[in-house]
Amino acid sequence: MSEEAIRVEGVSYAYGDVKAVDNVSFAVAQGEVLGFLGPNGAGKSTTIKLLTGQMRPQSGEIAILGMDVAKERDKIQGRIGVCFEEKNLYLNLSARENLNFFARLFGIADFDPMPLLRRVGLADRAGDRVKGFSKGMQQRLMVARCLMNTPDILFLDEPTDGLDPVSSQAIRRVIEEESARGAAILLTTHDMDEADKLSDRVAFINDGKIAVLDTPENLKLAHGQRTVRVRIREHGEVREQVVPLDAADTGDQLKAVVGAEGLLTIHTEEATLEAVFISLTGRGLQA
Amino acid sequence: MNAQVSRPAVIWAIIRKDLLEFSRERFFVVITAIGILFYGAAFWLLPSSVDESFTVGIRQTGMDDIFAAAMGGQSAGLAFVQFESVAALEAALGMGGAEPDEPLGIGLAFPDDFLQRVAAGQPSTVRVYVDANVPTELQRAMASFVREIAYALSGNPLPVADPGREVIVLGEDRVGDQVPFREKIRPLFAVLALVIETFALSSLVAAEIQARTVTAVLVSPSRVSDFLAAKGILGTGMAFAQAVLLLLIIGSFANQPLILLCALLLGAVLVTGFGLIAGSAGKDFIETLFYGMAFMIPLMIPAIAVLFPGTSATWVRVLPSYGLVQTVVQASAYNAGWPDVLPHLGTLLAWCLAAFAVGWFVLKRKVETL
Repeated sequence: MSEEAIRVEGVSYAYGDVKAVDNVSFAVAQGEVLGFLGPNGAGKSTTIKLLTGQMRPQSGEIAILGMDVAKERDKIQGRIGVCFEEKNLYLNLSARENLNFFARLFGIADFDPMPLLRRVGLADRAGDRVKGFSKGMQQRLMVARCLMNTPDILFLDEPTDGLDPVSSQAIRRVIEEESARGAAILLTTHDMDEADKLSDRVAFINDGKIAVLDTPENLKLAHGQRTVRVRIREHGEVREQVVPLDAADTGDQLKAVVGAEGLLTIHTEEATLEAVFISLTGRGLQA
Repeated sequence: MNAQVSRPAVIWAIIRKDLLEFSRERFFVVITAIGILFYGAAFWLLPSSVDESFTVGIRQTGMDDIFAAAMGGQSAGLAFVQFESVAALEAALGMGGAEPDEPLGIGLAFPDDFLQRVAAGQPSTVRVYVDANVPTELQRAMASFVREIAYALSGNPLPVADPGREVIVLGEDRVGDQVPFREKIRPLFAVLALVIETFALSSLVAAEIQARTVTAVLVSPSRVSDFLAAKGILGTGMAFAQAVLLLLIIGSFANQPLILLCALLLGAVLVTGFGLIAGSAGKDFIETLFYGMAFMIPLMIPAIAVLFPGTSATWVRVLPSYGLVQTVVQASAYNAGWPDVLPHLGTLLAWCLAAFAVGWFVLKRKVETL
């Protein structure tokens, strides 16, 4: 991790009386993947719109690559890539034509879309109109589009939402490659497992506020509960017992269950990010 | 890292993309092509001249000299055809059962003893046949014509002296040079060609908004002003090109081509402004169509009003397209010059600025709040 790619200080935005983003502050370093997690309506998309210059914050400051997003939007736009939640592609154009159009907007001379299309597994469909693409193929094309200017920062809004495993895997691989290249990535997702695997840090946003921001490991250690789950057959019936690993008598409990007759299975269980989120906010991610 | 991109390059990229998309919107391409071909064909099928003459069938005996003099002295518009019998006259008028190829509109049947009875001061009856389509004033003129012949034959002077008269025609005297229906419908076609583009442009704009592709464009180095400029240039260009093409097909540039081009360009800006409003306001295709229609109908009214004689009502004259229609009519049909059409072009320009400013504002608001 090196210098900051994104710095957000006390940013707020309200739609009328409803505070969508409420005094939010965070930073993302170059090469870092920040998972931005929260239920629908928590303020994730509004935050991305503020960071990408689509809306102006009503208070607070946003610096992208050290530049004020409100004042130096033109310089910033050429150095970021945005993958939207909506599949906002030109359906009557082919994959190649879609990329060529945006390449002209970015002023990329002699742009060749084929390497990008190969990277997301769409090279053989380059000349096909996008309206014939599956949801997963459209999403992969969206990812290719946001990579065309080799951005310093990537904003990925639910990039794998509702996709088949093959498309999801392809997109996750691209995220890892871009992070390794040094791009800062702000990733919003509902998929806690994905966030856990891909993110260097995660921020839980709820009701427009960041509830907590830390590495997945620290969050699980600080807020989750590690347990051992055992199944034992007794008197012809299967019984399940959960032994917390952080209790004072954990050793005695484990000795008792391991020595018990009829022991069937033993599983260690780690806290999940979803469990941490629920324990912190009192609500689930799908709410 | 990408190079700094210029504003014209961004605008041109959006226009190129829109043209490519438009060319693949089969519905609008077909509608546009059919519209231009249909209007062009319909125009050339309409009558190119106005038949101002009426043929009057005459059945008379012993008055050849009088009618020869009458035929020679009539101004353009009346022609007399002699018939041997009342039955032949009535057959020519379409009263004999079989429909003649070109039935007469007017017939005068003088009784055989008309000369003798008039000379003797006795009453005589002349039968005047008039078709229902003959204007009332011409029916009355025929009755007067018969009365004058009777006075002339009897040697009695007319009860009043023939007053000297000076006829002053208000406006251009079109006698013998009436504007045919084809000419009257020309501005209607011009406005139609322009108005169709309201739908095409509003549909393109609405598609960008509804599919949120505009947000993808606006997080690239392009600005809202680039997007608006591209839509404005494309809409104006397409509407202008189609209107010019249609007017070329219907041969409208014989008179005052520069004035016509100027009027069409302003008209194209006008419909583009309305197209931007309709495209921004509609939440889906049906709503966009509704707003498009809501703008199209008032725009059509001044063009339709030209088809009817008389001065347009005041409320028609304040409609946005009135200046466009009047300019096209006066320049193409009456060969009017710049001094004659400048007031209309001025009004049209004011409407253009208003429509385009509102369209620009509404679209800007829309894309900023997506």
